[in-house]
Amino acid sequence: MLAVEARTRLGDLDLGAAFEVGDSECLALAGPSGAGKTSLLRVAAGLLRPSRGTVRCGSQTWLDTERGIDLPPDRRRVGFLFQDYALFGHLSAWRNVAYGIAGVTRAERRSRAHQLLERFGLADRADARPATLSGGERQRVALARAVAREPELLLLDEPLSALDASTRARSSRALTELIGDAGVPAVIVTHDFEEAALLADRIAVIAAGSVVQTGTATELAAAPGSTFVADLTGAVVMTGAARARGDLTVVELEGGGSVTSTDSATGPVAVTVHPWEISLEPEDSDQAGSARNRIDVRVTSVTTVGNRVRVGLMGPQPMVAELTTPGAAGLALSPGTRAVAAFKATATRLVAR
Amino acid sequence: MSRGAAFTGALVLALAVVLAFLTLPLVAIFLDVGPGDLVASLDDPGSVDALLLSVEVTAIALIVIVALGTPAAWLLATRSFPGRSVAITLVELPLVVPPAVAGIGLLAALGPQGLLGDALEQAGVELVFQTAGVVVALVFVASPFYVRQALAAFTALDPSLIEASRTLGAGDVRTFLRVALPGARAGLVAGGALAWGRALGEFGATLVFAGSLTGVTQTAPLAIYERFSADFTGALALSAVLVAASGAILLAVKPAGGSRVLGDARG
Amino acid sequence: MTGRVGRVRAALTAVIAVFALAAAGCGDSDDSGGSSKPRLTVSAAASLKKAFTAYGGDFSGARARFSFAGSDELAAQIRKGVRPDVFAAANVKLPDQLYREGKVERPVVFAGNRLVLAVPAKSPRVRSLGDLRQEGVKLAVGSASVPVGSYTREVLGRLPPTQSKAILGNVRSNEPDVGGVVGKLSQGAADAGFVYVTDVVATRGRVKAVELPKSLQPSVRYGAAVVKGAKQPKQAKRFIDGLLTGKGLETMDGAGFEPPPR
Repeated sequence: MLAVEARTRLGDLDLGAAFEVGDSECLALAGPSGAGKTSLLRVAAGLLRPSRGTVRCGSQTWLDTERGIDLPPDRRRVGFLFQDYALFGHLSAWRNVAYGIAGVTRAERRSRAHQLLERFGLADRADARPATLSGGERQRVALARAVAREPELLLLDEPLSALDASTRARSSRALTELIGDAGVPAVIVTHDFEEAALLADRIAVIAAGSVVQTGTATELAAAPGSTFVADLTGAVVMTGAARARGDLTVVELEGGGSVTSTDSATGPVAVTVHPWEISLEPEDSDQAGSARNRIDVRVTSVTTVGNRVRVGLMGPQPMVAELTTPGAAGLALSPGTRAVAAFKATATRLVAR
Repeated sequence: MSRGAAFTGALVLALAVVLAFLTLPLVAIFLDVGPGDLVASLDDPGSVDALLLSVEVTAIALIVIVALGTPAAWLLATRSFPGRSVAITLVELPLVVPPAVAGIGLLAALGPQGLLGDALEQAGVELVFQTAGVVVALVFVASPFYVRQALAAFTALDPSLIEASRTLGAGDVRTFLRVALPGARAGLVAGGALAWGRALGEFGATLVFAGSLTGVTQTAPLAIYERFSADFTGALALSAVLVAASGAILLAVKPAGGSRVLGDARG
Repeated sequence: MTGRVGRVRAALTAVIAVFALAAAGCGDSDDSGGSSKPRLTVSAAASLKKAFTAYGGDFSGARARFSFAGSDELAAQIRKGVRPDVFAAANVKLPDQLYREGKVERPVVFAGNRLVLAVPAKSPRVRSLGDLRQEGVKLAVGSASVPVGSYTREVLGRLPPTQSKAILGNVRSNEPDVGGVVGKLSQGAADAGFVYVTDVVATRGRVKAVELPKSLQPSVRYGAAVVKGAKQPKQAKRFIDGLLTGKGLETMDGAGFEPPPR
C-alpha cells in the first residue's frame, strides 16, 4: 500500500496532489507533459523533496516533512524505471541487472541476474553492452534491473513511450504480467491515455499540478469530469448550449446543428462522444425513428491504423469517427465525400463548461 | 555550395597553418642532430639521471593530483555551495600564473622563511633543494589541467544515471566509484594526460622553488637548459627524447579516452 | 555573390590573417631616423641587470632593450644566429670565443667585480669560508658553464682538496645564472652561495657578503662587444664607449663594479 501526498513549487508549477495505490494494484498518473506527473514519481522515489509532503509505503514512512523524515533513495526499496532507461553503459546487461542485488555472494548475484534476464527473454544478450541492444531489449534490461532488488514499490516513467508500435504491444503484455506477479503497488506515468488504459487498474488524471479526476479507464471515458479529461481520453469534444426537453437535453451546437443527450445539463456545455461510437452513413440516407443524433459532415481525412480506420470529419465542428476496416470499406470514403455522422443519445456525454 | 567550399577552404588553411607552426620546431629538433650524436649524448649519465628523475617526479605528482583532484572535482560537480564559483576560479588560478611566479609563491609559502616554513621545519619536511620540492611544484602547476577536465567530465554525466544508482540502493560512495568514475573515464584520462604533459615540461617553478641539481632536482627540462649553452647537441638529444616521450603519452591515452567527431552517431 | 568571388574573398582573408600574424612577430627593422629613436638590443649577464637598466634609461640616442641571462646562454643564442646589438658577459672568455668565431667585433673589458661568499642576512648559519664544509650546509652556486659558476669553481680549486671536496658535496643547486643563487639566498632557502659583490649590494640588506681572501679571489673581468650584423652598430659602439668613459661608467661605479683595468 502506497500513500503519497506532496505540495511544492517547481518553477512555474504549483504541485499539489495526493494518491493511494494498493498492493498488486497499478495506478497511472496520466496527463500532458509538464503537469507534474514525473515529479510525483520522483517524490515517491526520494529523488525530489517537496516543501511539504508524506510518502508511506507499507508500514514504513519514507517521507514526512513535518516530522523531518526523509529517507534517501538508496534506503527506500523502489524499483524505478527511467524514461530513457538510464542503463550503465560501461556494464554488460547482466551486470546492470546485478547492480541492485545486495547481500548475497557474487556467484549468487550473477546467477540471479541471469535468471531474471532469462525470464525477460534476454538470456542470450546477458553479456551485451546496452549500446548494442535494441530499444525493446534495453527496456527489458532496465525493468529486470528495477525488479532485481525485490522492491516494495514499482515506479515506471513512460514505460512504453520510447518503443515502436509492435514492441509496445508485446511490452505492455509483459509489463502487466510483471506488475501482477510482483505483488507490490505500481505507479505508471504516461501522457498517453491508451497506454494508461492498457496497463493500469486506475487512472489519476493530472493537470497543472493537481489530480483532476480518478477512476478506471472506462469510468473516465464514460463520464469525463471535464473537457480536459474528455480530451485526454480521446473523445470528440464539441461545444454548445444545452436546455432540457422532457427527459432529455437538447444542445444547440456552435456552428449549427443540434444533438440530444440522455445526460441532464443546462447552459454552456461540452458534448463528448467517443470516435468508436460514431458511425457514418451515406449522405442521402434517412433513417428516422432511432434515437440517434445525426450531423451532416464532410470527410477530411481517412487513416488506417491497424485494423481500424480513423476518419477525420468536418461538421459544424471537427469530429473523428473510428470504424472497422470492413465497415469503412463499404462506404467508399475519401476526402471531400459528404456523409452523415450518427451516434446514440445515450452515448452522448455532457460536461458543464 | 560555393560559399560552403570557400568556408571549408579557409578552415583547411587555418588548420594547415596551425599544424605547420606547431610541428616545425619539433621536426627541427629531430633534423638538427644526427642519430649517432643523439644516442652518444644520451650516454651522458647526467642526461639519463634527468630523464629518470622526470619520470619519477611526474608519476608521483600525477598520483597526488589524481588522488586529491578527483574527489575535489566530484564535490564541485555535484554540490552547490556558497563560494563554489570562487573555488573553481581558485583551482584554475595556477593556469594563468607564470611558472616563475608560481615558484616564487611556493618559496614564499613553503620556503624556510615562508608562511609555513617553521611548521614544515618542525615536521621535518624539507622541500627546497629536495626532490619532494619538485613534486610540490609540479602538483601546483599541473593540477588545474586535471581538475578542470575532471570537473567537466563529471558535470557532463547523465544525472539519471546517478539517480538510477541511488534508486538501486547504492549510497554516495558506491555511486561515485561504480557509476560516476567509469562514466567520466574518458574525461579523467584526458585530464591526466594533459596534467602529465604539463608536469613533464615544467621548468620555471621547479627551478625557482627546488633548484637544479643532477639526480635530485634537475629534471629533463632543467637539464636541457643547462646543456643549451655548453653542449647544444646534448640539449637537442634530450629535447628529442622529451618530445618523443610526450608524444608517446598522448598516443597511449588515445584509445582509453578517444575523441568523437561532432555529429558522429555512435552507441 | 558568385562562387568565384566568395572563394577569392576567403582566400584573401586567410592570407591577410597569416601576414598579420607574421608581422606581429617581426619587430620593426630599421627605423628611418627622424621622429623615433632607434632601438638598441643588448644581451647582458644577469649580474649587470640593475646597472645596465639604469644606464639604459640615461642612454640618449637609442632606446635600449635588455635581455638578461647567464652569459653562456646568451653566447649560445648568438652562435645560433640571434643578433643583439651588444653582447656584455661576466667574463672575457665568452666574448673572446665569439670574436674568434667571427660572431662579434673585437671585445673590450669594461668592468671588474669581486666574487664573495653570500649568506642570508637573517641568522646566517655560515659566517666564513670554513663553515662551508660543515655537514648539512645548503650551498647554491652557478652551473659550471655560467661565469659565476666557473669563477666559483676556480676559487674552490684553490682550496686544499679535502676542503673543496667537502664544500662541493654541500652544493644543492647549480643555478643557470647568478640571479637564481641570489634568489635562493634572499628567501633563506640556501645557507650560502657564491655571487658577485654587486649582487649583494643590489639586495639592499637581505643578503650579506663575506669577503674572500685575496689569494682566492679570481680575476673577474667583464667583456663587451658589438655583435657582427647588428642593426645599430654605431649606437652599439656608443653604448660600450659609455661604459668606459661616460654615463655607463658612472652607473656601474655606483652599483659597486670595479673600474675597467687600465
